[in-house]
Amino acid sequence: MPLGGQPGRRARASRRRLKLSRSLVLAVLAVALSSAAGGLAYFIPAAATAIQATGQIVSVASPTPTILFTPSPSPSPVTQGGPFTVLLLGSDDDSKFSSDHVLTQSMILVRVVPATKQVTMLSIPRDLWVPLSVGGTGKIDGAYSYGGAGAAIATVARNFGVHVDDYVWVGLLGLIKVIDAIGGIDMVTTNPVMDDYYPQDINSGDPYGYQRIAVMAGPQHLDGTHALQYVRSRHNDLQSDFGRSRRQQQVLIAIRQKAKRVAPADLPNLAAAIAGELKTSIGLDRVAELLPLAASFDNPDAIQQIVLLPPYTHGGGPGGSVTANWSLILPLVHQYFP
Amino acid sequence: MISRFLLAAGLAVLMVISGFGSYLYLGTRQSKLATPPQKPIAASPRAQAYVLPGTLYLAQSGALYSLSAGRFHQLTPEDGWMQPYLYPDGSSLLAVKRSGYHSDVFSLSRFGAVQAQLTNNAAGPRSYDTADNHWSFYPRLTPDMRTLFMSYDEPKYGFDVNMSVWSMPVGGNIRQARLWTYSNDYTGGDVEPIPLSNGAVLYTKYDYGDPPDNKLIAQLWITTRAGTYGRALTSINDDCLEPALSPNGRELAMICTHEKQISHLVIAPFDGANIGPLQEVITDQLVAQPTWAPDGSGIAYLAPAEANGPFQLWFLRKDAYHPPVPTPMPSPTPTPGTHLERSPRPVLYYPPVVVKPIQVTSFLGFDASSPLAWSN
Repeated sequence: MPLGGQPGRRARASRRRLKLSRSLVLAVLAVALSSAAGGLAYFIPAAATAIQATGQIVSVASPTPTILFTPSPSPSPVTQGGPFTVLLLGSDDDSKFSSDHVLTQSMILVRVVPATKQVTMLSIPRDLWVPLSVGGTGKIDGAYSYGGAGAAIATVARNFGVHVDDYVWVGLLGLIKVIDAIGGIDMVTTNPVMDDYYPQDINSGDPYGYQRIAVMAGPQHLDGTHALQYVRSRHNDLQSDFGRSRRQQQVLIAIRQKAKRVAPADLPNLAAAIAGELKTSIGLDRVAELLPLAASFDNPDAIQQIVLLPPYTHGGGPGGSVTANWSLILPLVHQYFP
Repeated sequence: MISRFLLAAGLAVLMVISGFGSYLYLGTRQSKLATPPQKPIAASPRAQAYVLPGTLYLAQSGALYSLSAGRFHQLTPEDGWMQPYLYPDGSSLLAVKRSGYHSDVFSLSRFGAVQAQLTNNAAGPRSYDTADNHWSFYPRLTPDMRTLFMSYDEPKYGFDVNMSVWSMPVGGNIRQARLWTYSNDYTGGDVEPIPLSNGAVLYTKYDYGDPPDNKLIAQLWITTRAGTYGRALTSINDDCLEPALSPNGRELAMICTHEKQISHLVIAPFDGANIGPLQEVITDQLVAQPTWAPDGSGIAYLAPAEANGPFQLWFLRKDAYHPPVPTPMPSPTPTPGTHLERSPRPVLYYPPVVVKPIQVTSFLGFDASSPLAWSN
């Protein structure tokens, strides 16, 4: 071929070829990128759920809406490694109520002191008659229904005189799914839980239906459905909601114990289980910080469990509610939630 | 030199393989937490597993299984079967079949064939109240096999549903039944009756414990006559349940939880009316349903193989709780013509024998709320 002329067929073919070394580099890059993409695809559902569930912005539904706090990037009131208080909320997110306007059947204040590995759980009776942050007076379980998590937090904070750093809300269906996703929990059920009128409102199509349950007593492995029966039934308990609060605390501790065995590769399944059934104001970065901390708590018996039995509360309030004896409750709360 | 076309095609294939490969690899890295337990007939005890004497009857996922000579046999379909109990003469089984709203006691052959339905707890066809149904649990027979003891949810008042200990003639009906115990309101009641040869009945009673917590606790109780208020054998703080009488009737095995989320295997001497000091035998497992071997060689029980896992079958040899008495070394006998020097008396040291429990099964998931039965 003459110099400067049109390249010949062989030369064109030569330009369409790459050297072996370049080909190898490309192959390595391709493998790395596609492997990362495969891993990303595996964790994308979990990440999406985590982003959706965490970092919820909380506001109070009042005549003048007030932002209580927002998740990161705004500075968190929780100091790095310092004590913090979380309000756990559990609802029967059934079809009796419209979405996000459900009662909170379970309200538990949890204070964690990472330095000393102290955990204190205070169950708040759902029927406690208190001034609500959204105005008026009513049972404390209605605060979430009227004004969402912000109203529930503000109501608890104002009545109990505590600072709540974050909240976690779990639907009861989510509780079933989470327990099933981690393969069930081992517990010692304290007594036979018998209920002839247990709500049959989950996946039944009849939010007002009921069924019979009998959860046997003693050590056993519970799946999500039976664990929920154990924590939710309150008809056959002399302590009514107080007994149920105690059972809820037992199940929470059992879930925490089991969760220590969860592997990172389990996250997509767990995320699928809790999708739409869990909301928290805790930011994703903070969740990542807290996971190792949670794993380091290895003695469930060291968790202080408080239930506001009489004389801290007594029945006979309006509409079957429970009345607080604040002169006893507040010193107790300030002792454990300074 | 490689053709660009070939390289592009090769890289595309490589990327597809590595992309899917990493996705699938991560899937394999999931923990086995949510893996359902195997069926016992799919996974017999390991070849090197300890073979238990006689035949053991257990429940898993609503089916009854027998374990004999190291092999499981499924006796019933997965249809709510639980709480097997062997007739005192070993000829048949009693078991509970549970449905959504009621449970009934059945007599079964040792191969699982239904022989008779002994209770009829389903509400009538025209009933619209779920409370018209009843539960029968923990069936037991008297030594003469003529009377059935069980926990039955009567009397009940509205939301207050408790089990009490009842007896009824085998082959009779609930109208002929007698109420033996008065359960405490809103506790779950009286369960796990064991009719004794002296006519008394041992059972577990639930009650509210001491203030300020007033936690619900379990105690072993004994009563000698129907309709009388019995007496407690164990303390509130011990929180003991699931009693099992030894084959010779002189010892009790039970679990005690001390009002916590733990359960210790405990044994105690028993004379038919009183219980001796409690001896904790296993304290590092979540023990359930202790059951004496009929030949007295040990105690079988259920416990997770790893923390927070399904319950497996374990066996604890008798040496663990009744260590053999060490035989003293024979003292030297002087023989004529020998002179024994006076020397300090030798101190004999017998190292403590540590007998560990034997894990009989793996990867199964027995119903830990269902007692076991064990025949010769």
